[in-house]
Amino acid sequence: MNTESRKKALRYFFGKVVAPMGFKFTPDAELVDFLLEQEVILETKHGIPFCPCQPLRHDRARDMKIVCPCIPFHREHFDAIKRCWCGLFVHQDVIDPDSLPQLSPHEVGLE
Amino acid sequence: MSLILIACLNCRRTRWVLNKKFVQAIRADEVAPGGMRAVELDGHEIVVCNWSGKYFAIQRRCGHMNAPLDMGTLDGKFVTCAMHCAQFDVTTGEALSGPVPADFGGESPPPKITGYLEHIGMQMKHIRTESIGTYDTKVEAGWVLVEL
Amino acid sequence: MKKVNMYALSTCPWCRKTKKFFTDHNVPFSYIDYDLADEATQAKISAELDAAGVTGFPFVRIGDEIITGYQPERYSRALGI
Repeated sequence: MNTESRKKALRYFFGKVVAPMGFKFTPDAELVDFLLEQEVILETKHGIPFCPCQPLRHDRARDMKIVCPCIPFHREHFDAIKRCWCGLFVHQDVIDPDSLPQLSPHEVGLE
Repeated sequence: MSLILIACLNCRRTRWVLNKKFVQAIRADEVAPGGMRAVELDGHEIVVCNWSGKYFAIQRRCGHMNAPLDMGTLDGKFVTCAMHCAQFDVTTGEALSGPVPADFGGESPPPKITGYLEHIGMQMKHIRTESIGTYDTKVEAGWVLVEL
Repeated sequence: MKKVNMYALSTCPWCRKTKKFFTDHNVPFSYIDYDLADEATQAKISAELDAAGVTGFPFVRIGDEIITGYQPERYSRALGI
């Protein structure tokens, strides 16, 4: 299967899912391209596009929480840092994604 | 589709070519935007899809395990098969993704079933999700025509 | 210098940046790419993540300090560089 075609399809599906939640693709186009490419690799291997920056625990209930876009399962955390963990999505008002550090829930007063 | 003999005016030779023709498939207003309808034309099982007012025709059978694609969902130009969620681009027929693994709810099946599943799994490992056939379409006098 | 080891994912760009940070600053470090490791190693790392109460990568241990996410300023502070 063609990676570029799949990346375009994922862009379409994911865009529709994250917009109502107040997120958008990060303006860092290179990062989007890289992360989507990794998700296609993961989807080809596992059948599901998992987050490229979170580990698979081989427990279905836990792994479902890192299926991209995983924003609903980490809403409080991602809203606090204005980005998702891997940075594929950022809050809609974000113009400079490099200014958003990758902070754990603990570091923003959660968990 | 049938073969017809034509005479080439340039090379003065005759040859066989496929005689493709457009046939009436379904009334355009019977396939709403975002919708799909299955039709059978001359032995071809076809699904007519409406992507924002544009009509596309694809083979009915999923390129993974033959399930009828009209039972799935059309989102934009992407059809998702209801059986295992393989996805295809209806404008090109290109297979975009394969099946999604099944969820057995965390329970282990009984031993006899496990053996059967292992046997099936061994054969299913060789199944590929192939791209699907597409047909040219046009709309005339309120009908969607498909080229066979 | 404090001992540095990390758990990474071969698919994660932040893990790559973290490795590059240590390399660029000549900090010796060891790492395991979780997704490329065998089942037993993955189970061990998974248990360690749970014990630390974290879920994301990169997972960096500098001495006794655990830092998750790409955080070059915290690495510098922890290493005193």
